[in-house]
Amino acid sequence: MIGGGRPSSSSAAVTAAGGTWVSTTSVSASGKRIQREMSELNADPPLHCSAGPKGDNLYHWVATIIGPPGTPYQGGIFFLDITFPSDYPFKPPKVVFKTRIYHCNVDAAGNLSLDILKDSWSPALTVSKVLTAIRAIFTNPDPYNPLISGIARLYLTEKAKHDEIAAEWTLRFAK
Amino acid sequence: MVREEPRQTQQDSKQANPSENSQSLETLFSPRFKSVAAMAGWDEEALIVASLVVEDTPDRQSKHKKRSDLIFKTPPSTNSRRKRRAQRSSPVSTPIAPLNLEEEETPKKESENESKEQRIDVKEEKKIEPNEPNEQKPAVSCSNPAPALHCMDKLREELSCAICLEICFEPSTTPCGHSFCKKCLRSAADKCGKRCPKCRQLISNGRSCTVNTVLWNTIQLLFPQEVEARKASGALNNREVERQSPESGSRSSRRTRSIRPPMASSSDATVRRRAVISQNEDLSRLVSADASTRRRRGAPNQDEDAALALRLQREEFLESFRGGTHQQSRTTTPLSLARENLRAMASRAINIRMRSRPV
Repeated sequence: MIGGGRPSSSSAAVTAAGGTWVSTTSVSASGKRIQREMSELNADPPLHCSAGPKGDNLYHWVATIIGPPGTPYQGGIFFLDITFPSDYPFKPPKVVFKTRIYHCNVDAAGNLSLDILKDSWSPALTVSKVLTAIRAIFTNPDPYNPLISGIARLYLTEKAKHDEIAAEWTLRFAK
Repeated sequence: MVREEPRQTQQDSKQANPSENSQSLETLFSPRFKSVAAMAGWDEEALIVASLVVEDTPDRQSKHKKRSDLIFKTPPSTNSRRKRRAQRSSPVSTPIAPLNLEEEETPKKESENESKEQRIDVKEEKKIEPNEPNEQKPAVSCSNPAPALHCMDKLREELSCAICLEICFEPSTTPCGHSFCKKCLRSAADKCGKRCPKCRQLISNGRSCTVNTVLWNTIQLLFPQEVEARKASGALNNREVERQSPESGSRSSRRTRSIRPPMASSSDATVRRRAVISQNEDLSRLVSADASTRRRRGAPNQDEDAALALRLQREEFLESFRGGTHQQSRTTTPLSLARENLRAMASRAINIRMRSRPV
């Protein structure tokens, strides 16, 4: 786990060390856990969300969230990149918005300010729960811990105008 | 069907004495019984047939069984259990039971009689829909395996570690009541702070290192395959981790300790362990291999040694138990698999020792 990392590298290490037992199934703890999450996501996907590995690399995922109805993000399809650290689940995955969004908790580069992805991360959280949490900030933005204070201010003072701009952005970038 | 035989023998024994076939209904049935029969809606003819049934000799039993079925329209034996229980205690036998009520007519028996009569009513209601139990039966037999599977899924979910998402391996329970694999919980405490991964309550360090024995035993009983798989892969992973990170100080010190052949450093605990399972060479090899991993992982703990001994003993017991009850073929596969794993583990252990010796 500590020196571990990607499953490919660990199995390569085994063969390189000249072990008598060549590993084909040996996957690091993080890889195993990610695989498990993948199968669970396939079996029981969260509402209006999807996620899966980008390519061959188990540690790079793409996720989509459909904007919840009743919000200015309604009908938009938002893409996110998820990168798992090698000591996942003990460290949080990095989640970045690939689709532009007008939201006080998401900056221009797509970074999110979400407590559970930083200090409040718990190894018991899963991708599914993270996506659900992200979907929740679509409905209830957190203007008191903003990444873009201008949007937060607008949200607090002129919510109608904020919603109008957000809807326009959704129409422009997420459809 | 079988139920009726004792009843019939009972009848025969009662009919063995004076009451021969020539006797009238008045002597055959008590007035009380007749009144009860009337209330139950049994007509004269039914009573006569019933008396014939009573008088029949045991060698023609198969015949009366049929006849009594016709008379009382007993629903097929594919009844629900409740119905069967209701029958067992009553109505078909009512023609006989009142026979010896003649002598002692206590109010108590009367009430008993009445209750019987009520049961007859109940039964007659049931006669109306005799198909019902038949329809129910396949449904029950079909739905039985499904809940069992569902139940196992629920259990699997419930007994999974929230950190690795697999069945808890050596579960450790936090003071707040959440259980995780011991290793997972320890890693979480090391890397994410001393809070419960589930509820974020503070967890003390000491408690998090003890295995919840009851839970662990339960898991071993419920999911033996998963546990075995984890045991095997866990042992391999430990070596891999050590191989890949020899730079950490504490690890390398442990490593030097592991250079000693496990036999030489056998404490009396290992001796005890080997005594327990001396018959099985492979298992004793497992002991030494496992002990060496333990030594490498951390200081050899008396408690851990004892736990290992207990585990091995239990495994051996389960193995022999399985061998006793099932076919040999079922036991050989996991056993040979375990042997193979052990051999691989042992060869790897030797490898590590060989490579680390010149250092």
